[in-house]
Amino acid sequence: MATTAPAEAGTITAPARPRRSVGQRWVALWLPALPLLVIIGALLLAPALLLIVQSFSGNSGLTLDLWARVLGSALNREAIVTSVVLGVTCATIATIIGAPMAWLISRMFPRSRAGWLALLNVAANFGGIGLAFAYIAVLGTQGMITLGLQGAGLGFVPPRPSSFIGLTAAYSYTNVPLFVLLTIPAMGILRAEWWEAAQTASATRWQFWRMIGIPVLTPFIAGGWLLIFTWSIGIYGIAYGLAGGGGAAAIALITLQIGNILGTDVFGAGRAAVLAVLLMAMATASLVIYRRLLRRALRWL
Amino acid sequence: MTAAAAPAIHRPRSRLNRRLATQVFFLLAALYFLLPLVAVLIFTFAGRWTANILPDSYTLDWWAQALGNPDLVGSFWTSIVLATGTAILDILFVVPAAYWARVRNRRLRPIIELGAAIPFCLPYIVIAFGILQLSGIVVPALQGTFLLLMLGHTAIAFPFVYWAVDAAMAAAGVERLSEAGEACGATPIQIIRRVILPNITPGLVTGSILAFATSFGEFAMAQVVGRGVRTVPIWSAEALRSYISAPGTFNQLAVITFITFALLFVLSVVIVYLNRSQTVRLVPGAAEVGEAERA
Amino acid sequence: MTSGVSLQDVRKSFGNVQALDGVSLEIESGELIALLGPSGCGKTTLLRSVAGLEQPDEGRILIGDRDVTDVPTRERPIGMVFQSYALFPNMTVRQNIAFPLTVRRRPAAEIKARTDEMLELVNLVPQADRYPNQISGGQAQRSALGRALAPAPDVLLLDEPLSALDALVRTRLRDEIRRVQQLVKTTAIYVTHDQSEAMAIADRVAVLNHGRVEQIAAPPDLYETPATQFSATFVGSRNALELPVREGQVSLGNAFSVAAPAGASRAMVFFRPEDVEVGSNGVGHPATVEFKIFLGATSRLHLVADSDGQQARFYADLPSRRAVALEPGTRVSVRVAPGDVRAFPIGG
Repeated sequence: MATTAPAEAGTITAPARPRRSVGQRWVALWLPALPLLVIIGALLLAPALLLIVQSFSGNSGLTLDLWARVLGSALNREAIVTSVVLGVTCATIATIIGAPMAWLISRMFPRSRAGWLALLNVAANFGGIGLAFAYIAVLGTQGMITLGLQGAGLGFVPPRPSSFIGLTAAYSYTNVPLFVLLTIPAMGILRAEWWEAAQTASATRWQFWRMIGIPVLTPFIAGGWLLIFTWSIGIYGIAYGLAGGGGAAAIALITLQIGNILGTDVFGAGRAAVLAVLLMAMATASLVIYRRLLRRALRWL
Repeated sequence: MTAAAAPAIHRPRSRLNRRLATQVFFLLAALYFLLPLVAVLIFTFAGRWTANILPDSYTLDWWAQALGNPDLVGSFWTSIVLATGTAILDILFVVPAAYWARVRNRRLRPIIELGAAIPFCLPYIVIAFGILQLSGIVVPALQGTFLLLMLGHTAIAFPFVYWAVDAAMAAAGVERLSEAGEACGATPIQIIRRVILPNITPGLVTGSILAFATSFGEFAMAQVVGRGVRTVPIWSAEALRSYISAPGTFNQLAVITFITFALLFVLSVVIVYLNRSQTVRLVPGAAEVGEAERA
Repeated sequence: MTSGVSLQDVRKSFGNVQALDGVSLEIESGELIALLGPSGCGKTTLLRSVAGLEQPDEGRILIGDRDVTDVPTRERPIGMVFQSYALFPNMTVRQNIAFPLTVRRRPAAEIKARTDEMLELVNLVPQADRYPNQISGGQAQRSALGRALAPAPDVLLLDEPLSALDALVRTRLRDEIRRVQQLVKTTAIYVTHDQSEAMAIADRVAVLNHGRVEQIAAPPDLYETPATQFSATFVGSRNALELPVREGQVSLGNAFSVAAPAGASRAMVFFRPEDVEVGSNGVGHPATVEFKIFLGATSRLHLVADSDGQQARFYADLPSRRAVALEPGTRVSVRVAPGDVRAFPIGG
């Protein structure tokens, strides 16, 4: 039944496409992403690399002078130790409170779960100066709880906002919700059927958790711990609000030291760079361990 | 995301105990989260307040003062404009890149994901410091400007936008839609405008809101990079340092903090509502977990 | 030690839905009974009630002589195989199978011996040290079976164990499950929506519909003599025609004429495709072949015939050799032996 009709006006033929050069093809592949790549390169990658280079710069090429000076200062060493201890403490608190909470919320019905998620979202994003102020408003010398407890006769002396305890409490306000939000997705890994299968095999609740639940969830919980640790050592706004900058810092933290040097010391860029690179190294190491943990965890699933 | 249903419990009494403990736990948690908010709110209305858990007197003065304070109001609008600009820029930069990474150039993906890991690896103060140094060498004219700060915010907020938009694209099956569009004879621009964008709207909105929130409350970069820019956190930091000498500043600070909080709350509700059927990806690893579960 | 299971007037509702509407069932010790029915008929709810994963609102459940209605799952002498295997991902096949014994704190030597025995039973010795995500679906299901049987339960419960598998694996595993069950002679309750699967392996089949048991019978009896209209439509493929009742008889022209059920003006008539006698010699009712489907050993003819001015459509299955000449458009005559026709009143 087929007859060949000559190609004529009205039939559809593909227009002859010019062969594109290698350059044109390359542009087509990368062009739409170029603005983003430029932003990443110029505002994230390059600054980081610059800081690394600057931390090793001396008058005549690469040197460890700056590192020696920074690590030689007792104040800086104290700042490093305090930052790490603070990070570990906050991460641990966030995990202990956050893990059961994430579990419970992950099993709620959607409507109440949504309410909690909204609340957690707000608390996780409510940081910086605002949170520092709120902390003072609650537990400062004229704070609401302070006055309340004192008015009730209890001789309550609130922890100084700039003390270790004060910072820990304030950090935890955002860290616990952040931990919960980060680990709720992982809670969905535990399938209801595993608990049912364990029951039919006569396991108790504790045996289920010990032999199945905890081993399966641990990598994700540990991952959450690492993320909160990384986040905490880099916090600046809350710390600044509570402990002040400008040379009168009441507690030594790496981030505060960086801010301090930048604000007051015109020639301190090099030392600040060392501290910055130190933070970078800790955070990167933390993230590498995090990815490795997750990859190992997912091999079972 | 699956929410595992609670297993059937057989002993009514232990079930009741556990339910009760859970509810008490959540009551305490709710109180804990709302406490600072309540305290701040009371501060905005407090007159004399020296001895008890509640103020001795109440007043609306602080609200009037705050709203009439040009410095404060100016910083509020600065932050709004800054955050909005950040959100817009992020969407403009991220959407084409995310789309192209899915549909045309697979090699883009690891590069973008590596870039997205940087703001998690590096504290904002470190990035801010780096930008300060780099801009000093390359574009000294931009130092301390609004533009540079906005670009900085765009860079640190982009991971949130990327995760949100990428998740929406995955859920919508953007690769399949593009192929169908091409088979129908549409150009890439037409496909993006008529097919892709309408189908990823929740992701776009979520991403914008996350970028907005990140920029609005960000302090480190505003202090270091945006030296000439007065945002709400900058104003707040100054108010916090000086409240002893200038009474009333503290209460105005309470007002702006409360307004910020209320704004955040509304935005969070919108985000949760838009994403009620899926988990919101916030971090690299958690993302893979969510995907594996959904697949 | 295996026991029978007794279900006595079990009722269960979820909100407005009555999942189980007074189910009573006596399951003999050592038999494999299949619970068959469409989705929503209550078969899974029934199984889960025996397991203790659902609590009935009313009624009693006995395993052997013991009333287990209020006994928690972990204390019931059961083993369960789930549709999606539910193997613990962080344990090897061996550890999964050993799990029920481990949690009962059996001595290590006993655990090892019993686990080896189970691995042999389900043919998984080479896979013993693999993880669930390293084995195939069929192997996973066999592991689940081994785990369920390891503690020598009184009752084995299987919840659509083959649904998640490919068709080829399904048949092999189905026979495997039957073989193992016969070997250990454990009472087994097997839930499925696939009627051929149920009839292939069960000693008896219970057909459920809307939370009630429509019929319990051995597979051949169920196939030959369905007791209710539902059973008739659900089990085996059948022709169904709605025909008027005249003078106490319901008939399709010269094809057949049977006594009508009492008190109805119309009847639903069932007959099997393989019972339709197709000939070209004029004996029977005239029909035309609409089209023919080749199924290998048999062919299925789609036939249309006249029934009091209306068209009746039905199938006939023939050995393919006999159907070679019967192309679409051919006129044939059909007949069905009265004994092969079952009639039910419409509306009942």
